[in-house]
Formats: sequence, structure tokens, C-alpha cells
Amino acid sequence: MKHKQFTIMLVALSFLLLLGFSSQVMAGETYKMGLSIDMTGATSDVGTPYSKGVEDYVKYVNDEKLLGDDKLVCFIRDDGYKTEVTKRNFEDFLDEDIVFYLNYSTGSTMALRQDFQEEQIPVLPASFHAGNLEGNDYIFLPIASYSSQAVGLAEYVAANHKGSGKPKVALFLHPSAFGRAPRDDVKKSIDAGLAIDLVEIVEHGKDLDNTAMLKRFQSKGVQYVISQTVQPPVATMLKGAQSLGMIAKTYGEAGKITFLGCHYGGGPALVALAGSAANENYYWTTSYKMMTAKGPGRDAQFALAERYGRDENVAKDANYTNGIMVVQVAVETIRRAKAKGKKITRAALYEEMVAMNGFNAFNSLTTVGPVSFSKADREGVDTLQLYVSKGGLFYEIGAPFASEYVQKIK
Amino acid sequence: MSESRWLATGNFFTSYKTEQRIFLTHIDRLVFICFLAVLFAWPLIIEVGNKYMLVIDSILIAIIAVYGLNLLTGFAGLISIGHAAFVGVGAYTLATFARTLGGDHILLTHYWPLMIIVAGLVGAVIGGIVGLPSLRLKHLYLVIATLSFQMIFQWFINFSKFYDQGQTIAIGRVFWFTGKVGRRDHYFFWYYVILVIVVILGFAVRNLLRSKHGRCLVAVRDNDRAADAMGMHPGFTKVYAFALAGFFAGVAGALHAYLWRGVGFESFLLHHSISYLAMAIVGGLGTLVGALVGPAAILILELQVESLAEFVGHYFTAVGDVATAFRPLSFGLVIVLFLMFEPRGIANWWRMVRSYFKLWPFRY
Repeated sequence: MKHKQFTIMLVALSFLLLLGFSSQVMAGETYKMGLSIDMTGATSDVGTPYSKGVEDYVKYVNDEKLLGDDKLVCFIRDDGYKTEVTKRNFEDFLDEDIVFYLNYSTGSTMALRQDFQEEQIPVLPASFHAGNLEGNDYIFLPIASYSSQAVGLAEYVAANHKGSGKPKVALFLHPSAFGRAPRDDVKKSIDAGLAIDLVEIVEHGKDLDNTAMLKRFQSKGVQYVISQTVQPPVATMLKGAQSLGMIAKTYGEAGKITFLGCHYGGGPALVALAGSAANENYYWTTSYKMMTAKGPGRDAQFALAERYGRDENVAKDANYTNGIMVVQVAVETIRRAKAKGKKITRAALYEEMVAMNGFNAFNSLTTVGPVSFSKADREGVDTLQLYVSKGGLFYEIGAPFASEYVQKIK
Repeated sequence: MSESRWLATGNFFTSYKTEQRIFLTHIDRLVFICFLAVLFAWPLIIEVGNKYMLVIDSILIAIIAVYGLNLLTGFAGLISIGHAAFVGVGAYTLATFARTLGGDHILLTHYWPLMIIVAGLVGAVIGGIVGLPSLRLKHLYLVIATLSFQMIFQWFINFSKFYDQGQTIAIGRVFWFTGKVGRRDHYFFWYYVILVIVVILGFAVRNLLRSKHGRCLVAVRDNDRAADAMGMHPGFTKVYAFALAGFFAGVAGALHAYLWRGVGFESFLLHHSISYLAMAIVGGLGTLVGALVGPAAILILELQVESLAEFVGHYFTAVGDVATAFRPLSFGLVIVLFLMFEPRGIANWWRMVRSYFKLWPFRY
């Protein structure tokens, strides 16, 4: 009896050992990435859907085995929009041996750029500040910069202004490096011949009422306001303008103000916040495909959100798209490096990033143009799409475009 | 004082000099030396990730800043809620050199001990100037004056093109006898530098408090008219208290700039000033031990609250605002609880523990 029990135990043990070894043989590599993002701070309304986009797409990559037997891990940490916490998170990720890093804010990207350079790690930030590219080689902007966006909107204003003389424009900016990013480039573009009259530059505070500012705009004859900030302050401004009857019903309506916004200052989340004030005639530009437009990108995004139990607000948020897109790029670089038989290291991924151009440009379903990087050009999607809100949904206006003056002032 | 220098169950001083000794017994000295040895030796034995070394280094820097605030608020009785701005003055002294000469200039990278002292001195000068209203103002009015300095500092940096409107100004890597301190050794190196400075300045504070200048601070705090009647100069004392606080803050600011390898506006805001005040209160105002334990307590609490807020924000997305509110809520709660139930701070717990062992095995 004892002998029989011993035999059974031996067989069971052998089976378990065999299973253990075989699963080790089958298991592939694990590639680690890190994301430090604001989920509880001043811009958490942007950071939260962004982080969910990252989280869901990483799950999707693993579930669908897009990297074969290899596994992708992304550490996601909240930094509360504080650079000190971002730095701590980054150090933590480095201790975990990450090969790719996703950063968030403009301030922290600027503050950590020398660390990125020393660590030689490819970085995709959520900040599209053109200044991120200066003084380092490893930061890549996923889409067209804030400068391209703001100057592009200003170009549209200049080209489509109906009244006589130069259109009078005000800039409404976030009081940080993020908000100020395109300010000087708009000024430089005006010096280079862009036909707009920049009447005022406002750095907003935490005001819940913008009546005084809007009345001042009116007294100065401002016809267009271009926002480079996050959605809540834009929503506050739009609600104020609505109650004062200042919002133009058609583009450039005389005596009223037409509101326009860069990537983070618009989108479905703005409509959710501002309600009827943003339902009609709000102009918005981004390099991402709009979720109200029909197409494979939209369908895939909704399917992804549904698969991982996200609600409709997250599913159609442009920053959910944003989060998906940066992981898509990271996965694509890993996939390409693997296909060439390279060991997945920071250096290998960097090589693949800077080779992502020409015929090798990456066509993501989430953007209006291909993602292309090189050593000389680390701005991913070069084109922008203009959208306008109608009935609470955003619709494309014209074809994707690239800012002409940003090229001139470079 | 008892005959035995090893054990003393009571305070039997026979001269003023014996009462003012830094270490009352040999055991005190021995415990201190052992503690110091542990502080210097543990990084060589235990491997800690850069994240935690960064936190530990930040605690040490905060200790230096709180030394100054404790002198000002704890010993001189002058409440300041602009201390982060003084720390910022030290950091921006380095940033001024970096903007003028370049972040990798030899002055910043090779003569960094000198730069730390210069930052402290600039902090002292600015502290002295900001302290001038204390000649006329007291209590809440002085608080408002220091708050004004904080606001002026923030406004100045935020709108100054020279300081890049508060964006991070890079500071180069420093050199040691072995060459450039690289990324791998960065936090390790600064741990030892800051620890040495903490010990030196700790002794400086302890010695200051044994001198007539230190006793002047306490006398002016308790009753400035009585201090005046006894031949002290309350006005001068208050101004030099601010200058001293500015010096400590300036040194802390310079170390902050070197540790973080850059100077950014958002490290010196009003809520940092309140944090420093909280560190001093929770540690124990008017005690040297308080300045040592307060920063550690608050910064570790912050880390824990951050983790909790992240956890809540991650799993309960609908209550994101609650997660956002955790930090100020927990912070305020800790300060209020300490003020209500332990106004003498954690230092008082240390005093009770010491008393227990001093009297052991007797209870009284």
C-alpha cells in the first residue's frame, strides 16, 4: 500500500515538474513599460481616460497575443500632476527595468528630459509641446505639437475671416508650461506674416465666472478665442459666454465670438462638461480621429472599451484614443524589433522609433495621418483635422492639414 | 548631576556649564554615535531602489529646512508661512548661476560646496530683509507678511522670463574626487552629503541654543519687553532669527536643486510652506528632535496617502474627487489631531521614552 502511494505521488510530482518546465519553455519574454500620469490632480479629467486607454490596449495586446508568447506589462502610477512625484515614479520604473516610458505633463517632461537622455530610453509623452524635443534625442511627440495646433487654428481664422481687416484673436491659456507652449510660436507666426491681430493673451486661474474677461474681450472687439488648456476652464468660459449671448451661431458671426480649441481644450468631454454651450459651433483640432465619425477606428475603439467594461463617456473620449495610440506605437516598435531578431532593449526600440518613416511609417487607425519619426523629426502625426460641434457631436471640416507657418518659423 | 557620567536618574546640576552639556550622560553620547553609525552604514549594507533613496534624501533636505523654521517659529516664536519661498531663494540662487553661466559651469559642478554656502547666505540676506516687518508686526499680522513674501516669490518666478516662467532650469552633474558623480551613484552620493550637512547643522543649532544668542531667541519669544528690559535687543533678535531661517532654507534649496538636478517653480509653492510648518508642528516646535522626526513623519504620510489616493482613484473612478481630496484632508487632520492631543509633537514621545529608560526600573 505504501509503495503504491509513493508511486502515485512520484507520478504526480513528475507531472507537476513537467508542467512547470513546459510552461517555462512556452512562456515568452516580458517587456516592461511605465506610465506616470495625473489621475487625481488638476488635469485628472484628461489623465483618467488616457490611463484607461493605455491599460485596455495593453490588456488587449496580451489577450490577443499581438506579441506572440511575449507579454507586455505597463506600470501605471498616478502623479497628481506633480513633477516631484513623476520623477519618483520614473525612478521606480527604472528600478523595474522598463524599456519604454510614457510620460504625461509638459512640466515633468521638460524637467526629466536630461534623465531620459542619460537613460537613453524612448519616451512618448501626453504633452505635445514642441519644446520637449529640444536638448534631448529620446522624446517623441505622438501627434502634431501644440504650436502646430494653435498656429493651425490661427491660420484657419485668418483664411476664413469674413469681416474687413485682420481678425481679432485672443489666446486663452492654461497657467503652466503646457498652456504657454504655443504662445511664442503664435507671436512668431504673426511676425512672419500671419494675418491676425492678437488682442489679448489670458492665463486663466480657477475662476468659476469669466464674465469680466468676456466683457473685456467684447469691448476690445475680439472675434475669435483660441484655447490651449484642459476642458473644465473652457467649459466655464463657454457657459459664461452663452449666458451673455456671445457665442457665434455661425463661424465668424459679426459681433459675437467664435471659440476654437487645441487638442486638450475640446472633444466630447468638453460637450459633457459645457452642455449646450459647446453643442454647436465649437471648433476643435487634433490629430486623432473623432469618435463620432464612422469608420474602422471608431468601431475598434468602441469594441475595446466595451470589452474591458468602460462606459460610453470613456469609450468616446479623445484621450482614451490618445492612450491607445501611444501603446500602439510602443507595441509596433517592439514588434518590428522582434521581426528583425533584435533583443528588446531601449536601444533597439529607439532604433525602430527613428526608422519609423517613409514606407515604414506606422498607420494607426486612431490618427488622421501616419505616425512617422526620424532622428531629425520626432513629431509623430504631422497632420491635423479640424472638427466642429453640431448637435453635441464633432464633425470633420475639410481634409487633414499641416500648419504652414510652423514650418516657416522653425 | 549624578557622580556617574554613565547613568543619571535625575537632574542634579552643580553648575550652569554642566546643564548646558550637549550630552548629559555617556550613554546619550554612545546612543547618538551608534545611531549616526547606523545612518552612515546602512546604505552600504542594504540595497534600496532609487525611488526610496530619493525619498530619504528629500526627508534629509526637509530636515535642514525645518531646522530653520523651528528656530524661527519654535524658538523665536515668529510664525512664517513663507518658508518654501526661502527654500526657493536658495534653489533659484543656483538657477541664477545656471541661467547666467550655464548649468554645467565649473562653479556649479566642481565648487558645489561653495555654491551651497552661497545659496545659504543669499537666503540669509533675503530672510533678514523679509524679517524687517517683524520689527513692527506680531502674530497674525506677521503671518500675513510672510504669506505676502510667498506670493511675491511665486508671482516673480512665474512671470520672470529670466527664470523661464518657472519651468525647470537644469543643473549639471557635480564632480567628486573620483570624478563625475553619475546617475548610478547620484542619490547615494547626495545621501552622504546631505547627511553630513544635517549633522553639522544639527550641532550648530544645538550650540546656538546653548549660547546667549540662542537664549535671546527664547527670551524674545516668551516676552520681548522683558527681554528688552534685560538688555537684549528684540528687534535685532527677530531679524537675525529670520536671517538664520533663511540661511537654513537657502542651504536646503541648493541641495534640492542638486538632488533633483534642476530648479522648478512648483517645488516652492504655498502648500510646501504649509508642509514645512506641519513638519515642525508634528515633530514638535521648539525642539531639535522635532525637526528631525517631523519631516520624516509628514513625508512618509504623504507617500502612504498618495498610494491610498491612487488605489481609490483606480478602483473607484466615480469618486475621483474623493481621491483628490485625500491629501489635503489627511494632512489637515494630522495637524489638527496633533494640535489637539499632542501639541508638543512626536518629540514629546521621544522625551517620554527617554525618561522611562532614564528612570528604569523605577516608574517615577
